[in-house]
Order: sequence, then structure tokens, then C-alpha cells
Amino acid sequence: MTSEEIKDLILEIIEDIDDEADFTSLDADQPLRDQLDLDSMDFLDIVMELRKRHKLQIPEEDYPHLATLNSCATYLEPLLKDA
Amino acid sequence: MKVPFLVIGGGLSGLAAAIRVARFNPSVLLLEKHSRLGGLNSYFYRNKTLYETGLHAITNYAGPRDKKAPLNRLLRQLKLQRNDFTFCEQYHSEVVFMGCTSLRFSNDFNLFQSEISGKFPQTGDKLQKLLVFLGNYDPFVPMPFTSAKKFLLQILGDKLLADMILCPLMYYGSSQENDMDLSQFAIMFRAIYQEGMFRPLGTIKDVLDLLVAHLQTLGGETRTSCGVEKIVHHQGTAIGVQLSSGEEIECDYLLSTIGRDETMRLLDKTAATPMTGYGRLGFVETIYQVPEIEATHLACDKTIIFYNDGERFLYKNPEGLVDFASGVICFPGNFQGLERKDLREIRSTHLANYALWKALSANAEQYTAEKERTSRRSGRCLENIIGDFTTNIVYKNSFTPLTIERYTSKIGGAIYGNPTKTKDGTIGFNNLFLAGTDQGFLGIIGSMLSGVSIVNQHILPRL
Ligand SMILES: Cc1cc2nc3c(=O)[nH]c(=O)nc-3n(C[C@H](O)[C@H](O)[C@H](O)COP(=O)(O)OP(=O)(O)OC[C@H]3O[C@@H](n4cnc5c(N)ncnc54)[C@H](O)[C@@H]3O)c2cc1C
Repeated sequence: MTSEEIKDLILEIIEDIDDEADFTSLDADQPLRDQLDLDSMDFLDIVMELRKRHKLQIPEEDYPHLATLNSCATYLEPLLKDA
Repeated sequence: MKVPFLVIGGGLSGLAAAIRVARFNPSVLLLEKHSRLGGLNSYFYRNKTLYETGLHAITNYAGPRDKKAPLNRLLRQLKLQRNDFTFCEQYHSEVVFMGCTSLRFSNDFNLFQSEISGKFPQTGDKLQKLLVFLGNYDPFVPMPFTSAKKFLLQILGDKLLADMILCPLMYYGSSQENDMDLSQFAIMFRAIYQEGMFRPLGTIKDVLDLLVAHLQTLGGETRTSCGVEKIVHHQGTAIGVQLSSGEEIECDYLLSTIGRDETMRLLDKTAATPMTGYGRLGFVETIYQVPEIEATHLACDKTIIFYNDGERFLYKNPEGLVDFASGVICFPGNFQGLERKDLREIRSTHLANYALWKALSANAEQYTAEKERTSRRSGRCLENIIGDFTTNIVYKNSFTPLTIERYTSKIGGAIYGNPTKTKDGTIGFNNLFLAGTDQGFLGIIGSMLSGVSIVNQHILPRL
């Protein structure tokens, strides 16, 4: 997956969690949680969906890498290069 | 047989936990001892009519836009659509301290605030101080027990007001006598006063059916009339369960929602169990039905009334069978958007002494007679507050702590379980956790959030 595809994947997962999520003014370098009103419970869903869809095991200490859309892409790109 | 995730108990916490796991790993099996799911919040049939066992009102009402509200978080976590339900908000409810004063509240918190400032003008801005404190307080950070009663008295400086605020919160969510933990107080204050109460348009059966169908769609499975006799374990790891039929089921992870001591009994048959349910609180509940045409004068605009006779409010195991000095009166038909039926239902709840009822049950005739006396006496107490209705009763049914014990296997028939909660859900095993009543969140929304959060915390990250 390319970086752009990964970003789309993350947004798709978020939309699945909250179908009213509004991405129009999303800043890819700002924390997703604050911008989209996600709490830690929702956040766990992103991790679980990545596991379910792509068999990715993301250790808890790496969760901070998923904070912004860009950091998600950076962190996931090597992991999803063959996906 | 082996499953990755096994849940003991098909109450609301078990169902929520099972759904939560099944979203990501469908091999979930839920085992329920009773022939029907729902646990404390189930239903039964008499004369071809469905009666709800334990639904007065659901707390934590929130509009659809309030994303952070517990109700909406719960729906999101379970991937349930809000549109699948029709929620009917309460009219308004009231705390009545007879001979003193009363406070009305609704899903608009302003009503409660104006009632307090009107009836307790001397409190001035103290309520605001309480609200500011609660606004900054995180009830989910683990803390040692802090008395909510002392705290309220200190901040409000008025014992009557403190007791009136506490009365509904205790009845709907305290497992402790005469007090509650500050964190539980903060959760319940928000749940009941700041958010408010509602019920589904249909019955609890519709809600349970929907939850089960959802679980099945995700691939999960439920089995009823399937009591767990024993948890098989070895060196701090639960290996599986043995059912009363003798069948054994192995599992990787086990979640018990039946209570802490109840789980301990399954782990070790010889463990001493508190036989009297010491320190646990029991309740009696009576359902009355009167023809609607005879009921038009009865508190039509109120959903729930929490009453106490006099100034001194005692929330404790009564010395007699039942303490009629305080109680809850609920009108399940008094919610916005419900159609009037031919019969009006009225429910009453009072504190009851499990040990005395238990002793009485040795003599079935006496037990039945006392139940009848209780329903009559409770009816008279209610009439003092809502007006006459007992001459028109067409159906009534009471349950005691023994009824609760029989149908949910709760020690002491204690609805709110063990007074000491196991907030982190751990009981010394690496793959067996506790959720539901004894984990600490109480009520319908509370127990479901308990199931979800224990799964999130201990199971999903490892599954
Ligand atoms: C009369 C009454 C009125 C209430 N009113 C309200 C209300 O208006 N609003 C509100 O929010 N809450 C109300 N509650 C409280 C609410 O119902 C509970 O807090 C909540 O349902 C608890 O759910 P739970 O899953 O934790 O426990 P439970 O519902 O007790 O679930 C545990 C389940 O485990 C099963 N079980 C036990 N032992 C075994 C075993 N060995 N093997 C297999 N299964 C087993 C039991 O049969 C039970 O189904 C009321 C309760 C009662 C009784």
C-alpha cells in the first residue's frame, strides 16, 4: 500500500466507527482524536480493525505512532508494503 | 470443544462483552444458566402478558449528536445503530422527602438546578461549586474509597439536601449501606441528573432480542439453560468450564459476569461463601396494574418518584423484612411517546432483608403470606404519595431477594452485588476476568459499559 492508500484506509476505518465523522477540515499533522472527537475506546477500534483486515499486531507501546493521519502512514507503510 | 472466548452469564454485561469481542473475533460463546437471557433485566409471562423484571428507566439519556456521552459511546463500541431503537424520554421525576420538601428533575438539568435554588436558597452558589468539581473530576482513575456522603455534606453544608440528592443515586446504583464511593457518586450524578432517564419504545425483550440477533450476525453464539458448575483451572490460568450437564468446554479467555464470590465458588467448590449475603443489599419489588380509566388521577406527569418518610434517610439492610420508610415508585407508562394502554402499571421498590426472607421461606405458606402483606403495605405507602389505587388493582406480583437469587444466582439476592468492587476486573488469573455488577458499573448502561471496557482492557489487546 502506498502512503495515500494507507490514509484512505484509516479514514475508511474511522468512518466505519463513526459514520458522521467529518473529514473536510482534517489536518493530517494534528491528532486525529481531538479533531474527530474520538475517545480511547474508539481509538482501540482502529487498532482492532487493522488487525482484523490486515493481520497487523500493533503493540500497545506503538499506539502513539497512530496519533495523526501522517504518522499513521509513516508507521504503517513498511508494515503494509505488501498489502 | 474449545472456544477462544467464553462468557459466563447472559445478563446485559455478558451480552455487551460478547458482542464487543465478536466484532473482531466471531468465535464467542456465551453461557446462561437461566432459560432466558437478560439476567436482572429480563422478562416473564403471566396470563399471556409480558412483564419486565427490572426495568424502571434507563439512565444516561443523551441526544444522538452528543458523541462523548456514555450511551452513544456504548452504541458505537457495539456497532449498534441508534436508529435501531426508539428512545422515549421521561416526563419528569421527583425526590419527595415527606414532611420536608421535594425536588423535581428531568432530562433538562436546569429543572433540578432551579428546584434546588428555589427550595434551598441558603445553598447559594454551592451547587455550582459541586458542578465545577464534578466537571473536573475523573471517576475512572483508581482511588481509595472516599465517602460521597461526607463530601456532599461538606460542599453543600445541608444534610437534607445532601440526602435528597443521594436518595435516587443510591437506589439506582449503590451496593453500599448508607453511602457510596465518590467516584460512583460522580458517575451516577451525571447518569441520572445531568443526563437523565429514558426507556425503549418496546419492551426489554425487544432490546435483548436485538442484542442477541446482533451477536449472532457477528458470528457469536449463546446457550441458555446452561449453568456453569465449575471453572477448571491450573496455576493461575483458567482452562475451561464444566457445565451442569457434565460437558466441558475449553477456552483461551474467560469472562465471568456472575459476581466475584459467585465466580470464586466456581473456582473452588470448598471455598467458604458468605451464606447470609452479609453487607449486601436486598430489595422487594411489586408490580401493580390498575385499569387506566381508574388511574387518571395518579401522578400522570411523573415517571419516577423516590420517596422518604421524614428527614432521616436510611439506605441499609432493614431490621424487619422490608423498610417501607423509603422507596421508589415507577410508572413505566409515563414516558414521552408511549401510547396509553388499558392497564396502568405502577411499580414499587423497597429495601429488604435477605436473611429474614430466607428464614421465612422454610415455611412456604408464611412466605407467601408475607409477600402478600408486603404488597398491600407497599401499596398503602404509595397511596400516601400518588393517590388511591389499591381498590382497583387487577393484577399484582411481588418479588423478594429470594426471587432474585433464584433467577440470577446472586448471593443474597443482592441486585448490586458485593459492596466491595473489583474495578480492574482482575481476580488473580491471567486469562479470567470479571465484568458486570461486581466490577463496579451498575445499572443497564453501566453493566454494558463494564462488559465493553473489561474486554477492551484485558482481552482485545491480547486476542
Ligand atoms: C427489580 C430491578 C429493577 C431494576 N431497575 C433498573 C432500572 O430501572 N435501570 C437500570 O439501569 N438498571 C436497573 N436494574 C439493575 C440492572 O438490571 C443491573 O444492574 C444489570 O442488569 C446487571 O447486569 P449484569 O450483567 O451485571 O448482571 P446479571 O443481570 O445478574 O447477569 C448475570 C447472569 O449470569 C447468570 N448466571 C449466574 N450464575 C451462572 C452460572 N453458574 N452459569 C451460567 N450463568 C450464570 C445469571 O442467571 C444472570 O443472567 C434493576 C434491577 C432489578 C432486579
